[in-house]
Amino acid sequence: MISLALKYLVSRKRQSLFTLLGIFLGAAGYVTISGFFVGFQRYIIDQLVNSSAHVFIQYRQDLLETHSLDEAFFGSDMGHVFWSARPSGREDYARIENPMSWYDRLDSDPRVAAYSPQMTVAGLLSKSRASASVTLTGCIPEKQSKVNDLASKIVEGSFSDIGSGGNRIVVGRELQRQLGVELSQNINVTVGSGTPTPFKVVGIYESGNRNSDLQAFGALADVQKLDNAANRINEIDVKLKDYNQAGEVARNWSKMSPEKIESWDTRNSNFFSIINLQTLMRYVIVGVVMLVAGFGIYNVLMMTVNQKMKDVAILQAIGYQAKDILFLFLFQGLLLGVSGALSGILVGYLVCRYLQTLTMAGPPGSTTSEHLHIALNFGIYSQAAVLAIAASIFASFLPSRAASKLTPIEIIRGGVE
Amino acid sequence: MAIVAEHVDKVLGSPPSRVLTDISLRVDDGEFVALTGRSGSGKSTLLYVLSSLDTPSAGSVSIDGMDVGRLSPTELSRLRNEQIGFVFQFHYLIAELTALENVLLPARRSGQERTRREYAESLLERVGLGRKLDRLPRQLSGGEQQRVAIARSLVMEPRYLFADEPTGALDSINGEAVMKMLEETNREKRTSIVLVTHEPDFAARAKRQIHLADGKIIE
Repeated sequence: MISLALKYLVSRKRQSLFTLLGIFLGAAGYVTISGFFVGFQRYIIDQLVNSSAHVFIQYRQDLLETHSLDEAFFGSDMGHVFWSARPSGREDYARIENPMSWYDRLDSDPRVAAYSPQMTVAGLLSKSRASASVTLTGCIPEKQSKVNDLASKIVEGSFSDIGSGGNRIVVGRELQRQLGVELSQNINVTVGSGTPTPFKVVGIYESGNRNSDLQAFGALADVQKLDNAANRINEIDVKLKDYNQAGEVARNWSKMSPEKIESWDTRNSNFFSIINLQTLMRYVIVGVVMLVAGFGIYNVLMMTVNQKMKDVAILQAIGYQAKDILFLFLFQGLLLGVSGALSGILVGYLVCRYLQTLTMAGPPGSTTSEHLHIALNFGIYSQAAVLAIAASIFASFLPSRAASKLTPIEIIRGGVE
Repeated sequence: MAIVAEHVDKVLGSPPSRVLTDISLRVDDGEFVALTGRSGSGKSTLLYVLSSLDTPSAGSVSIDGMDVGRLSPTELSRLRNEQIGFVFQFHYLIAELTALENVLLPARRSGQERTRREYAESLLERVGLGRKLDRLPRQLSGGEQQRVAIARSLVMEPRYLFADEPTGALDSINGEAVMKMLEETNREKRTSIVLVTHEPDFAARAKRQIHLADGKIIE
């Protein structure tokens, strides 16, 4: 039966080839498109995960509700208060209430790799007439460089030169350009209604992202002094040993503390919705290609079955069974599917390897360019194989079963009369 | 050992029309029976019912004492493979296979392709195609194609051979050659032969003639 199936395929070279081509394109397309998308996503996630902390503990923010203020105004002895205009707004604490207990908790948690307490304020940086309003983060450099990779993005000076105090500051490349400042020069920093304080620029960093290059970092103690808030912090950035645990850790901690706790993936949730959309699109594209390829197999086999009705009749008359006939046609579809899938995967792999050698501009806003990141993981290839082969089995099953249901007498009688 | 039909009716088509009415007959081993009658008399239908390719609407057909209607698909296909040979008006050769491969197709079914190969070659030699074993059907003439089909029907040395107008599409020389082969087979192998034909000359060469008219046997 196998040799007969092969002879059938060979005798219709062009049809077989075109059907093969359909499956081939489907598999190659799946591998290439998936490699491209998955590689890109993984690259972006790596960037996010490596460059930033995984869990962010921020000062408590409560929305006011109707009865939030009852006690403060009327004491606890009032039964029920009716507000003519109900209170609204947000209650900010602007600080983490009890940082020492957080430090204890973080120190004893085995999942935590490092943490860095911060004080983030809005500040005005100025040098002579140039000025820029920026986010100024006060941190302890040794701790900060353990939770993100800012230190490695310093292009001039050094991040650790911030030290533990002494009015030294590190600015992003964009900010440096806006202010026209150079390393070792002084700029004035104003926070709120305080007086301008001179800070010395000890480092310039370039992250590749325009927005984050518009920030500034100083020593925690200095920033606290600027804000007249000794010992106050409003954020703790935490790096975990395994970033995949971030969501779970964030949920756990928010249950036991009033602070606002975010994981890196919720902070970047819009990025993840783009990824999901991409994944959906990938499946749609490949689904359509496979559908078309499947229809190709279906058509060709249906045509073969119709052309070979007489063969089916004589095979049954000389003692072949329905299952032999089913196999005869199913094997053809399967062979097309398997060889199309394998050649498609191979070519897809080669295309991916080629794409890897190309360079591209980085993500929007970045100022560096990179090689294309193409995923070559086994999962994509096995998925492509399974999809292509499943599509071809499915598409060849129906015509094959139709052939096996034919009875010889109907064909012979039809042929005679 | 024989083929026995008892009270066979056959109704075909829609609206249903009666093609065979109350047919009872017996084909003994080694017999050579000719079924004759005008076209539409039901002779081909009777052949297919007798040969297990078709089932009677009523009544029963038994081959070697086995009721054909009660055989499982596996038993039925084995019966056809080992005991029964078919020759039709059309040759039904598979276009992608050579003459020899076509002849060996029934043997391949039961895993006897190798053991039957020599016999298949000798059959093709006997029908005058000893030098055309590897030709494809389209490289053979109509008469040659039909001779290949006969060789195929004989390769398993069946006990029964059913032939439905095997000479119908052939000229008289080729028709005569086919007829001779059937007679030889019947004589040498004691194969029972049921032949449908509307040519009186060929029918007359059978040992027994059964004449049908309007689905009934006319004695």
